Amino acid sequence: MSKCLIGSLVFFPLAASIISFLIGKKDKKLRNGFVKLVCIAEFLLAVGLFAGYTAGNEKIDLILPGICGMGLSFTTDGFRSIYAVIAAFMWAITALLSEEYFAHYRNRNRYYFFYLITLGATEAVFLSADLYTTFIFFEIMSFASYVWVAQDEREASLRAALTYLTVAVIGGMVMLMGLFLLYTQSGTLVISELRQACAGKDVTVAAICLLFGFGAKAGAFPLHIWLPKAHPVAPAPASALLSGILTKTGVFGILVISCKMMFHDGMWGTFLLVLGVLTMVVGAVLALFSCDFKRTLACSSVSQIGFILVGVGMQGLLGEENLLAVRGTFLHMVNHSLFKQVLFSVAGVIFMNLHKLDLNEIRGFGRKKPWLAGIYLMGTLGIGGIPLWSGYVSKTLIHESIVEYIHLIGEDRSHIALFGVSDMKIIEWLFLISGGLTVAYMCKLFAAVFLEENRDKAVQASFDANTSYIGMPGRIALTAAAVLFPLFGMTPHLTMDRLADLAQPFMGAEGEAHRIAYFSFTNLKGGLISIGIGLAIYFMIVRTWMMKKTPDGNKIYTNKWPKILDLEDYLYRPVLLQILPGICGGICYVLDHLMDTAAKILPIAGSVQAGFFDTVTDGVIVFLRKTIYKDSPVQYELDEGNEVTAFLGRMMNRIVYLLNHTIWRKHPNTTDYVHRMALAFAEFKENTAIIGRSLSYGLILFCLGFCATLIYLLVSAFS
Amino acid sequence: MNSSIAILFAILFPMAVGLYILIRPGFASRKELLTTVTVGLCVTGVFALLVLSGTEQEITLLSLGKNMNIYFRVDQTGRIFAAIVLIVWILAGFYSFEYMKHEKEEKRYFGFYMLVFGVLLALDFAGNILTYYMFYEMMTMLSFTLVLHSRTKEAIMGGLKYLFYSLCGAYMVLLGIYFLNKYGTTLNFTAGGVLNMDLLAGNEGMLLVIAFFMIIGFGVKAGMFPMHAWLPAAHPVAPAPASAVMSGLIVKAGVLGIIRVVYYLFGADFIRATWVQTAWLVLTLVTVFMGSMLAFREKVMKKRLAYSTVSQVSYILYGLALLQPEAMTGALLHVVFHAFIKSALFLCAGVIIYRTGKTKVEELTGIGKEMPVTIWAYTFASLALIGIPPASGFISKWYLALGSLESGISVFAWLGPVVLLVSALLTAGYLLPVTIKGFLPGADYDYQSLVKKEPAPVMLVPVVILAMLSVILGVIPNPLVHYITEIVGTVL
Repeated sequence: MSKCLIGSLVFFPLAASIISFLIGKKDKKLRNGFVKLVCIAEFLLAVGLFAGYTAGNEKIDLILPGICGMGLSFTTDGFRSIYAVIAAFMWAITALLSEEYFAHYRNRNRYYFFYLITLGATEAVFLSADLYTTFIFFEIMSFASYVWVAQDEREASLRAALTYLTVAVIGGMVMLMGLFLLYTQSGTLVISELRQACAGKDVTVAAICLLFGFGAKAGAFPLHIWLPKAHPVAPAPASALLSGILTKTGVFGILVISCKMMFHDGMWGTFLLVLGVLTMVVGAVLALFSCDFKRTLACSSVSQIGFILVGVGMQGLLGEENLLAVRGTFLHMVNHSLFKQVLFSVAGVIFMNLHKLDLNEIRGFGRKKPWLAGIYLMGTLGIGGIPLWSGYVSKTLIHESIVEYIHLIGEDRSHIALFGVSDMKIIEWLFLISGGLTVAYMCKLFAAVFLEENRDKAVQASFDANTSYIGMPGRIALTAAAVLFPLFGMTPHLTMDRLADLAQPFMGAEGEAHRIAYFSFTNLKGGLISIGIGLAIYFMIVRTWMMKKTPDGNKIYTNKWPKILDLEDYLYRPVLLQILPGICGGICYVLDHLMDTAAKILPIAGSVQAGFFDTVTDGVIVFLRKTIYKDSPVQYELDEGNEVTAFLGRMMNRIVYLLNHTIWRKHPNTTDYVHRMALAFAEFKENTAIIGRSLSYGLILFCLGFCATLIYLLVSAFS
Repeated sequence: MNSSIAILFAILFPMAVGLYILIRPGFASRKELLTTVTVGLCVTGVFALLVLSGTEQEITLLSLGKNMNIYFRVDQTGRIFAAIVLIVWILAGFYSFEYMKHEKEEKRYFGFYMLVFGVLLALDFAGNILTYYMFYEMMTMLSFTLVLHSRTKEAIMGGLKYLFYSLCGAYMVLLGIYFLNKYGTTLNFTAGGVLNMDLLAGNEGMLLVIAFFMIIGFGVKAGMFPMHAWLPAAHPVAPAPASAVMSGLIVKAGVLGIIRVVYYLFGADFIRATWVQTAWLVLTLVTVFMGSMLAFREKVMKKRLAYSTVSQVSYILYGLALLQPEAMTGALLHVVFHAFIKSALFLCAGVIIYRTGKTKVEELTGIGKEMPVTIWAYTFASLALIGIPPASGFISKWYLALGSLESGISVFAWLGPVVLLVSALLTAGYLLPVTIKGFLPGADYDYQSLVKKEPAPVMLVPVVILAMLSVILGVIPNPLVHYITEIVGTVL
C-alpha cells in the first residue's frame, strides 16, 4: 500500500501532465481545474505518506529494477516525507494562484505540462533512495523547469532562461562526473549505504564534483548567478517554486554529501562554512542593492541558502555534537521554502495587477490593502528572524551552533581547529550582520510597497482604487500559507521541534535535543542584535545613500551596484561563449583541416621529392663535369667567318642597334655585321689564296730570297 | 533446406532488386517504382529477421583459393549491427518515398539504396576479414553514388573526398590483411584473436604497427581523427535519408571493422597496454572534443549533425580502445543508440529542408510551432544524444565512463569521462538551440501567420519511431545490456 503511495507520488503527476496537455488542447477551463485537482490530490497523497511514516515509523522502499539500467529506488524517512509534503503543499498553493496569474498568458498548456512534470520529478528527487535515481530526476526537473523561466518569451526571459539552463547542464555534467567517481570508489550509490562505503576512503574529488552540481541548483556562490536573473523574469508562481523548493533539492544533495559521504569531516565542514558565509553575505548585499521587487527576493534566496550552508558546515565542524546545527539547518530549509512561497506570491499579485516590478513604479501599491500587507508582513517578519515568527527559531539554532563551536575551541575540544576563536567570532558577526541585512532589505521592500506613496498622485489613486487585486482561491491559499509562520514561531516546541526530531536521523544526528529555551535572554540577544543592525542599516544606508532626490522633491530608489561586478556578464559569459570556444575552436579548426592540408601538400611535396630523385644522378654527373672532369669550354661552330669576325660583327651589330634606336631612328641600318664581316673575311681569304697561288708571287718570293742571300754573302765577305 | 541459405537471400535479394531497378530502362509510374522498393525492403526484412531470430549459422559462398573464402557467419555482434541496419534502413527507405519527390533521378537513388542495403547486411554477416573487406569496398563505391546524387559541385567535391579518404583507409586495411594471413592461424573472425604466437615471436613490434594501420584504416569510415575530414563534407550533401543512413549506419561499418580487427583478429590482449592503445585513446579523445567543438561553431544544420557524428562515433571508439568490459558494453550500446538518434536527427533536418527549405540553424525560429511533432522528435533525440536521463545516451555514457574509470589506465581513466562530459555540454550547446528557438520563438512572434507544416505521415512516422526508440531504449535498456554483456564476455 505504502509502496503504491510512493510510486503514485512520483508517477501520478508525470502521467497527469500528459492528460492535462491533452485536455488543454480542447478545453482550457477544464484543464485549469484538472491541474488544481492533481496538485491537491498530490498534497493529500504526500500527507498520507507522512502520516503513514509517523504512525508506523518504518522505512518503506520502492524499487523498480531495470529501469534506466541501474533501476530506480525510492524510500521514505522523516526528512524525505516532510519534504514530500512541503513540495506538494507548495505546488498546491501555486496551482491555486496560477489560474489567475496566467489569465492573459500564451502557451499556458505548455506551462502546466512542465509544471506537473517538475512536480513529479521534484518529489522523486526528495524520495530517491540512491543518487542514481536522484540524478535522473534532478535532470528531468532542471530541463522541465527551464520552460517556466522562458515562459513569456521576452528577450530578457530567454536570456535568463538560457543562463538557467546552462548552469543546470554544466552542473548536471559535473555532478555526473562526481557520480562516476563515487561509484567507482565506493561501489554503491545507495544513499543509506554511502556512509559505510565511504568510510576510510578519500572521496573528496567526487564530493566536490557533486557539490558543484547540487550547489549550482541550490544557488551557492559563485554559481548563484541564475537566481537573480531567472526570478525577476519568470512567472511568480514559478519563481516561488524555483526559489522555495527547487533550490532545496540542491540542498538535499549537499546534505547527502556532507552527512553521508563526508560524515563529520571537519575539513569538509570548514569548506562548506566558508562557502556558506560567502553565499550568505554576497546574497544579502546584492539584495540590499537591488531595486527590483523580485530580484531582491531572489538575492535574498541566495543569502538564505547561505545561512543553510553555514548550518551544514557547522554540522561537519561539530561532529558528534552537531545536534543544534542539524536541527537549525533543517528548520531553516523548511522555513525558507514556506517564506519564499508567500513572498513570491505577493510579488506575483503585484505583477499580475501592474506588470511592473521596479520599486519606484510599484511604490504605494500596497497601501489600503490590509490583507496583502498582512500576508507580506508575516513573510517579512518570518524571514527577518523576528522572535515569535518561525525564522527566528531556525536562525537561533544555527547561531547557537556557532556559539557552541566557539566554546568547544575555547575548551580545546574540537577535533579540527582550522579556525581559531577569533575567526569564528568573525563568522558569528558576519552571520549576525547578514541577519541584519535581511531585516534591512525586507524593510526596504515593505516600506516601498506598503507604506510610501507613489510619486505620481494619479497612479497612487488608481492603486488605492484597486481592491479586486486577487481572487478568492488565491486569498485562501496564501492565508493558509502565511498563517504557518507565527503559528510555528510561537509554538516551537510543539511544532518545529517535532519536525526536527523526525528529520534529524537523515543527517546522522542521534539523541533527544534538550528543550531549548528559544526565548531566553541569551538566545534572544543574537536575534535582537541582528534586528538592531538591520534597522541601523535601513535608516543609515538605504534611506540616505541608496535614494536620490529627484527635481520634484521626491526620493527614488537607485541601484548603486556597480555593473562590472556582474559575474555572469563580465566573467562567465565572455569566458564560456567567446574565449573558450574561440581558443578551442581555433585549435579544432586546425586539427580539422590537418588532413586536408596534408592531402594538398603531399602531392606537391611528392612531386618535388620525385623530381629530386629523378635528377639526382644527373646532378652528380653535372657536378663532376663542373669540377673534376672540367673541360675547355665547348666550341660552337660558326655558320660563317671565324671568332674574330663574329666578335667584331656582334660588336658592330650592337653599336648599330644603339644607333638605330637613337640617331638613325628614321632610317635604320638593317645590315647584319656578323654576316658582313664574315663576307669580308671570306673575300680576304679568297684574295690571299689567289695571290698565293699566282706565278708573280713566286718570283717575288724568289727575288726576295735571292736578295737576302746576296746581302748575307756581302756582309760575311766584308767582315 | 539449410536455413543458412536465408543469409544469402537477405544479402542478395536487395542487391538483385537494386540491380533490377537500375537496369530496367524506366518505370511506368512513380508508384511502380515505389512498389518495387517496398517489396524489396519488406522481403529483405523478412529474410533478415529469419536470420536474426535463428541460431548461429554459417555458409561459404565460394572459395577463391586457399584461405580465401567468401564466408558468412551470423554471430551476436553481427546480429546487433544487422538489427540496427534493418530498422533504420527500412524506416529511412519509407521516409525517402516522400522526401525524394523534391529530388531528381529517383530511380537511380532507390537502385543504389537497395544495393547498399544488401551490402551492409553482408558486412554484418561477414565471417572473415576477406569477405568483410570485399563488401566494405563495395559499400564505399555504391554509397559514393548516394553522396553524388544531387550532382552539384559541392556534392561532387564531397563525393570525391569521401572516395579518396575511404580508399586510403581501405588500403591500410588491405595491408593488414596480408600480414594477418601470414601471422594468423585463420582469417575467420574468432573471439579472442587468431594470431599464431609461435610465428609471431619476435615480430610483435611490426604487427603492432600493422594493427595500428588497420585501426586507422577502418577509423576513416568511422570518422576518427586524423581521417575524419571527408565526413562533414560528404554527409550533408547527400539527400537527407541518405545522410541519415550514412551517419547512422555506414560509419558503423568502420566501427564493426575495428571491433572485428581488434577483438576478433588481433585479440584485445595483444594490444592492451601497448603504444597502439595509447595512441588510439588519444586520437579518439581528440576526435570527441574536436567534433563537438566544430559542431558547436557550425551554422548549417546538416553539417552540424555531421560533425556531431564525428564526435559521437569516437565515443564508441573510445569505449573500444579502453579494452575493458564495461567500456565495451557502453560502446556497443552507443552503436545502437547513436544509430537511432542520429538517423532521427538527420531525418528531422530533412523534414525541415523538405517543408521549408531552411538549412541554417538561425533560420529556424518558430519551427516548433510550425511542425511540433517533428521538433518534439528532434528534441527527444537531442536529449538522448546529450545524455540526459532517462533517454538512451545517458546509459551508454554511464557504462563508458565507469569502464574508463575502472580501466585504471593512468590519466585516461579520468580524462576520458571529463572529455565525454565536456563534449556532452557542447552537444547540448549545438543541439538545443533548435528546440529553444523552435518552441520559444520570442514574445514578438507572429502567431497569426502561423502555418502548420507537419509533413506527410510516411515521413513523420519513421522520425517518430526512431525518436521514441532513442528514449525508450534508455528507460528499458536491460535486455539490450544483457545481450551486449554476453558478447563482451566472449571477447574480453
